[in-house]
Amino acid sequence: MRRISLLLLLILIPALAQANVRIAATVPNMGMLAKEIGGEHVQVTVMAPADRDPHYLDARPSMMAALRRADLVVAVGAELEVGWLPAAIQGAQNRRVQEGQGGYFEGAAHIERIGEGGPADRSGGDVHPMGNPHFYLDPERMATVGEALAQRLGRLDEANQDYYLERAADFRQAIESRLPDWKEQAEDAPGVVLYHKDADYLMKLLGVPVKGYLEPLPGIPPTAQHLASLVRELRGEQGVVLYTNFQPSQGGEFLQRELDWPARQLASQVPVDGTREHYFQMINQWVEALTP
Amino acid sequence: MMIKPLAKALALGLLSVPLAQAQTAQDTSQQPGAAPGTQATQGNGIDPRRERLQLAGDSAVTSGNRFNPAISVILDGVYGNFSREVESPPGFDGGHDHSHGHGHGHSHGVEEGFQLREAEIAISGPVDPYFDMMVQLGVTENDIEIEEAYITTRALPAGFQIKAGKFLSDVGYINRQHIHDWDFVDQPWMREFMFGDEGLGDTGLQFSWLPPTVNYTRIGFEVLEGNNPGVANNIGSERVALTSVENLGGTPNRIRFRDYNGLDDKTGPRLFTLFGNYAPDIGFDHAIQFGASAGHATSFQDQEFHSSGRLETWDGDSWFAGLDVVYKYNGAGVMGHGNITLQGEYLLRTKELNYVEREFDSTSSFGAPSVDRDLRFKQDALYVQGVYGFAPRWNAGLRLDAIGMTNDSFDGGDREDASTSYRYTGQVSYAPTEFSRLRAQISYNDLHEGHDHDGHGHNAWQLMLQYNISLGEHGAHSF
Repeated sequence: MRRISLLLLLILIPALAQANVRIAATVPNMGMLAKEIGGEHVQVTVMAPADRDPHYLDARPSMMAALRRADLVVAVGAELEVGWLPAAIQGAQNRRVQEGQGGYFEGAAHIERIGEGGPADRSGGDVHPMGNPHFYLDPERMATVGEALAQRLGRLDEANQDYYLERAADFRQAIESRLPDWKEQAEDAPGVVLYHKDADYLMKLLGVPVKGYLEPLPGIPPTAQHLASLVRELRGEQGVVLYTNFQPSQGGEFLQRELDWPARQLASQVPVDGTREHYFQMINQWVEALTP
Repeated sequence: MMIKPLAKALALGLLSVPLAQAQTAQDTSQQPGAAPGTQATQGNGIDPRRERLQLAGDSAVTSGNRFNPAISVILDGVYGNFSREVESPPGFDGGHDHSHGHGHGHSHGVEEGFQLREAEIAISGPVDPYFDMMVQLGVTENDIEIEEAYITTRALPAGFQIKAGKFLSDVGYINRQHIHDWDFVDQPWMREFMFGDEGLGDTGLQFSWLPPTVNYTRIGFEVLEGNNPGVANNIGSERVALTSVENLGGTPNRIRFRDYNGLDDKTGPRLFTLFGNYAPDIGFDHAIQFGASAGHATSFQDQEFHSSGRLETWDGDSWFAGLDVVYKYNGAGVMGHGNITLQGEYLLRTKELNYVEREFDSTSSFGAPSVDRDLRFKQDALYVQGVYGFAPRWNAGLRLDAIGMTNDSFDGGDREDASTSYRYTGQVSYAPTEFSRLRAQISYNDLHEGHDHDGHGHNAWQLMLQYNISLGEHGAHSF
């Protein structure tokens, strides 16, 4: 019996000796946000890598292990992670992070979403009836989600409530100080063609027109027919083609050849251990890439 | 003196109502489907109190059908064309060796010609903060079967979870998967012949624990009723009867032979399993999981009653043990391009059965056993398979089945001459989206000669074409 309790103690000690709030973040951008808001009082594990499409991951045992130990899961939400997060949560056997509990946090629940209320009909592709989930490339919305996250962390760790709120305010401050510069840089941008609707929020924020998508329907890879019709529509116009590092380059290259638009591949997630500096740098790259 | 504050309150009330309404009108006007003209009526000077009556109360405040659980329908259709009749591997042949009962419920096997294998209807969702529920029905042309129907706890502390109902056991890796999860048209021989067509699915309880370790670890056990043709077949005490007619030329005289089969009723639970999984973290793009499992059935019974009046019964217990490993690589391509899955499992099964052969010696009783013998069945099976996403939407896979490397089995009470049989399978599938999949598969069955020494070739080619289409909301798949 003593041996067993000793064993149990050995298993439990590392769990007890950790930070106030253990967070399992779905994608690196949410991990970055959690670290920015939580600072020294949180310990963050990121479940998905930066270079894979978060739509198409499978639930892995290590995700379940991270969720098992977590006090809080921080997700993008709006069904972006629907292919793996519910299964991973179910497999984690942790009551704290179940949907509906204080340990379940979806960023998308705290913002106004583009395209919310669209039809839930998959003949339109891999649609998101609850709205576009890719808010993370919109710094303003990230600040809003950061504030909501600060409140949530304050609820889980009341002693440090003010600390979290201050850090959220600081994060917003940092974004707002950069925003005018980003907007100014994007002023003369002629427009973009995106691969997927993942930069819609950023383009809306900067006032840059989205002239088309390489995907004929969300989640359906570009077809020759669709690309040809894009070229027909856009011939004579100016613009750039932007796609992320996990999206294939052939479609963009085709438009580059046909329209003479630059096609640029960019990261849409910070590195797994990324900080706000990485995030701002990434937004900088998107803003700079808008100029042909 | 009282009038002044009253008038004030009334005036305030009158003012605040239209204000509040203007607010809601503004909020809702951005939503699609908001009642048009609500703002216009504000200015018409209609008594706001009456207007409020108009706006509400003519319909129930209800969430309608928004409490619907996730519902999905998965259609699975197959076309099969075989070079000859495909037989079971020797030692696992339902027609000769009746100590594993085939033919219970509907079959997941593939037949020749067009076949709608099943429509799988899955319904799942949270019941309340404490339970999740999942029901999976297998609907075929002739029957509806509950493949799984269980609840799982969602609020137990410290990583514990209880599952209750009818469910596929967590032993091994492929056992708990449904048709639409399979990487091939059909299931490995191991699952089909060790546990029966539908795998090890039974009614009972499962307890599992996930310790808070860095590397995923899960252990658990199950207490099951014990109804499985492969490892826990249950017959119980019943009367067997044979009717014959004498004196066909003269007055027909009906004679009925009837007696109990000699098997005992054994109350469940009769089947107990143990399982454990361990998955070290090997980075974002790779995942590997090791598993070990075992089970013990306190009762295994079977019988065969012949038209000659001869009754054969088998009665005893069984146990099994298995190992499994799965590796997955997430390639950087779109729609599964570059993904790799490798998996393999091994299972060993032992049955210690008392074999009794009896014949009627009067119309109301069997005579003393003509054969009474203890038999020890010991059989094993394995498969290894790999699937590679060679292009976006496309994957190709190879599978090797081997069964009966150890093959101590009996035909009636006699030792069968049975050794290893092999099956080689290759498949190519095309998935336009994650919701639809088309597949073509070729198998070569290389069966051990076994007890048939009459020169018949047992080897058979099988061609199968399959579609598997999923409609509606289906829960994400576990690892």
